[in-house]
Amino acid sequence: MINLDNVSMNYQLEDEQVSVLSNISLSISKGESIAIVGPSGSGKTTILLLLSALETPSSGSIHIRNQKLADLSQDELADLRRDTMGIVFQSFHLIPSLDALSNVALPLEIAGRKDARRIATEMIKRVGLEHRSKHYPLQLSGGEQQRVAIARALAHSPSLVLADEPTGNLDAKTGHRISDLLFELHEDMNATLVLVTHDEQLAKRCQRIVRMSDGRLLEGAADALSA
Amino acid sequence: MRFLLSFAWQDLRSSGRQLWVFCVCLMLGVTLVTASGALYRLMSDSLLNDTRALMGGDIEVEANSPLPDDTLNWMLSTGQVSLTRELNTMMGTQNDDFLLVALLSTDMYYPLYGELILSETGSLQSLTGFLDGHWGLLIDPVLAKRLYINVGDLVSIGKLEMQVRALVLQQPDRRLSANWRGAPALISDAGLEASGLVQPASLIDYEYNVRTQVDTQTWKSRFYEAFPDSEWEVRSFADRSQRIAERLEQIASGLLIVAFSTLFIGGLGVFNSIHTYLQSKLKTLAILKALGLRQTQLVQLYCLQIGLLAGLSGFAGLLIGGMLTAAGAQFIAQEIQLSSALQPFLLAALVAWFFGILTSFTFALPALGRALSVNAAVLFRGDSNTPSNLTLRWQLLTLLLATLLAGLILVVVPDFRFGFGFISVTIFCLVFFETIVRALKKLAAVIENTPWLQARVTTRLAIANLHRPGAPLRTALLSLGTSLTLLVACTLVVTALLRLINTTVPEESPALILYDVFPEQAAEVNKIINSFASTDRLTLSPLVRARVTRINGQKLSELEFPESDWQEMVRDEHKLSYLSGNIDSVKMVEGDWWPLEESQAEANSSKDSQLEARQPKEKDQVYIAMEDREARQMNLKPGDQLRFSAAGQNIDGILTGIYSQKGIQTRFWFEAILSDGALDPLINSYVGTAYMSDDDALKAQQALARLAPNIISVRTANIVDSARELLAKASSGLAVIASISLITSLLVLASVMAAGRRQQIYDASILHSLGTRMSVIKGAIRQEYSLLAVITALFAMALGTTIALLLLEYRLKLESSDLIWLGLVTAITASTLVFSIGAKYLFSHLKVSPSILLRDNEA
Repeated sequence: MINLDNVSMNYQLEDEQVSVLSNISLSISKGESIAIVGPSGSGKTTILLLLSALETPSSGSIHIRNQKLADLSQDELADLRRDTMGIVFQSFHLIPSLDALSNVALPLEIAGRKDARRIATEMIKRVGLEHRSKHYPLQLSGGEQQRVAIARALAHSPSLVLADEPTGNLDAKTGHRISDLLFELHEDMNATLVLVTHDEQLAKRCQRIVRMSDGRLLEGAADALSA
Repeated sequence: MRFLLSFAWQDLRSSGRQLWVFCVCLMLGVTLVTASGALYRLMSDSLLNDTRALMGGDIEVEANSPLPDDTLNWMLSTGQVSLTRELNTMMGTQNDDFLLVALLSTDMYYPLYGELILSETGSLQSLTGFLDGHWGLLIDPVLAKRLYINVGDLVSIGKLEMQVRALVLQQPDRRLSANWRGAPALISDAGLEASGLVQPASLIDYEYNVRTQVDTQTWKSRFYEAFPDSEWEVRSFADRSQRIAERLEQIASGLLIVAFSTLFIGGLGVFNSIHTYLQSKLKTLAILKALGLRQTQLVQLYCLQIGLLAGLSGFAGLLIGGMLTAAGAQFIAQEIQLSSALQPFLLAALVAWFFGILTSFTFALPALGRALSVNAAVLFRGDSNTPSNLTLRWQLLTLLLATLLAGLILVVVPDFRFGFGFISVTIFCLVFFETIVRALKKLAAVIENTPWLQARVTTRLAIANLHRPGAPLRTALLSLGTSLTLLVACTLVVTALLRLINTTVPEESPALILYDVFPEQAAEVNKIINSFASTDRLTLSPLVRARVTRINGQKLSELEFPESDWQEMVRDEHKLSYLSGNIDSVKMVEGDWWPLEESQAEANSSKDSQLEARQPKEKDQVYIAMEDREARQMNLKPGDQLRFSAAGQNIDGILTGIYSQKGIQTRFWFEAILSDGALDPLINSYVGTAYMSDDDALKAQQALARLAPNIISVRTANIVDSARELLAKASSGLAVIASISLITSLLVLASVMAAGRRQQIYDASILHSLGTRMSVIKGAIRQEYSLLAVITALFAMALGTTIALLLLEYRLKLESSDLIWLGLVTAITASTLVFSIGAKYLFSHLKVSPSILLRDNEA
């Protein structure tokens, strides 16, 4: 489903060229769950940005569902995100002006689905927030906001879920409940899950773990299924 | 599209306070434009009506015989024409009293503008018609009083006995007539024919008034083209009542400056609110991008929002502007007859609304372009405030709309050149303040690191706030600085104008003006006038009418004139006199009076030399001083050689200076003053002014009428009041519009300072949570705002005063350097007010618990 072929990413910082990713090659199968772990600054989030087509690699190529991202226009990339991907952010990033239900319905409405509200209602039930569906993000706790964010990411049944430290801003107990929810929904929908995390316990729930350091994949770092 | 609409609406509904500030800015902007635009139109329409009424038409063609049919037909093709025939004749009463009157026969179209108010009911035609064996006559109340005549009495005119049927209480075109003759008496055309006064040799003035939509200057040029060889005098209000017209023009310029500044400040409010609103939406934009919304859909979404906001807030502004217009109009209406408030308001309101929407989009585009270029990657990185560059496409689009906006301004405003000048000055101000901003930022960065500031946390914070990214210095100087500059300029211009108007009609005016005093009557007139106890002084000056025929040896037809063509110059008959007594209160503005004889110069050294005869040093040389407007029209400068021609004689002389008539108390308006002796062979009559009480003036008038019926005497009380009234109307209107504009501008500027302070509130909250006392934070903000207020006020004062003084000097021809203090006061007061309101708003938000702000993790 996903192929990263010799991908490198560099930033120009004043006169200096900063390398963020170096020659990353990685294949991820359909329905697979994969955790990317590593210390801060190792390039984990950059990989998510590249996979979500929000950044373009300096070199190398990325294929998603056999489509080379570099060949797609900005509008086609937006459509790819809309139809294929669900993203869960560490800081939730709900739209503050919309209530929980409307936030969940948003990707469906962007895709022009007429049953957006119905599906969103189902999703919000699945994450256990039906009693909070009319509340605005600022009226929800961190855990509740992340549950809404997961419901939003999965409402349109994406084939690829990208999650950036989904439990990073939550306490341990809430974090557990959120990760349970994420994996449960991932299994139900048979979506591919790419998870960036510091949390070894969370990473171990994935079928595969990829370790990174200084913008490189560590040799032999791909762990076997351990869950 | 349905989703976009629904999202746009939901997003707007829940945008809370930012939206409120945005809407207020936009609303105030549109309010300002609507109110000042509508009031400007009301005022100018009203003043135009007044001046037309005073003139009796838009154009007057004066001839001493009926105009040929082809000329009349040409005039009729340009509008409506009304003929008034005027001749001087004696009117006798049944007590054998006789007095010179100006007999006016009017046609059915009279008056073309304004209203003739009579003491009795009935139309002009019916009251002047033939009834019970007599033609009707309408006379001036002063005449009735002087001759003890009542309505119904019979008087003799020519070979007829006529019946006085009514008194003329108000005759619109006589109030400010430049040519005072005898007191007016109105008669019908048929009555005049029957009187036998219209004979082949009779001296009758045929005054054709034209009511036309064509611009008066254009009309005159076309007339001269059509009838190049004619000698008829063609005049508009500006020619006939020059000083009043000049004042009204100056007031119109003042109004324009206020209206333009309003446009800019209103636009600034709109820009600032749009920018602030979109800045607050950066995160939402990034999320929508990450969720797969296409760029075009994002553009549609936010254009929809801006359109909705601009439309609704603009509409609210329009309503409030309407209310302000109504209130302002009601105030002005106490002074001015406002014909219809609705039409000017509707037009101004629509323009303002469209302007508000166009400004919203023009100023929204760069903000939108920047906002849309935000990379959704910031959601992963946690910084959604990263500024981004505007792409070329957005830059071009912005430029296109800005050009459209400038075009709209130039089309809507009444004076294209003025509009262009204003836009240029505004651009200059923006560039000037941008340069100052950059310099100050660099300076602040250097100062912040000085050892002296290391121990002074509050001041260091204040200095740091001047140059850190997102600092309000740019907003303050660029937006507020330019706006305050314009406010200072407006205040100075308006004050100078109001002051000028107040001095145009001085408190002390002569009570009696005398015309047609023959040289041999001078001694007797002197005796009569000085016999009254209240008489302060009597001055007599010669009045000679002549035309300029050559300038520096060249005929006028060989020369080019900046303001009009030679045809007009050739037809223009000038009033010439001597300076002795300075009867017309003139003041030298360029060059000087001619050198005096040495003995006289010594004698005058201890006196007011203007009141003395100015015998030239070289007796054979004729010296000339010209009135400023005439000199400007003929492109004259001191040193030019002029030739006047009158009664077949030529007077050649050298122009030594150009003078201005500041007041309108005598209305002689001499167009040239010659050195004593130059006019002697041509003097047939004198004019005079007598300073005395109004009661004695009436008695003197009667005494003079009995002694010398040829002397025309006019009491000035009513006429000066008339001029004073007209100028008071104009100045009241100007003051009302300027006040409304000033107050609303201050509100707009305060809202500009209040908006866009999210980053500052966030920074303050972080500092507070790190343990900085709120008093320290507030102290730093106070110092920062005080610094900004002082810097803004200083630059606004310097630039605003310079602009105002240049405008006053070169456009309005007013010397006003003594008003610099007012510029300083205005700049400091306005700046203090605006920054105080901004600081107060900021402090009220600092009461919010930092935890709420920090929890959101966003600025």
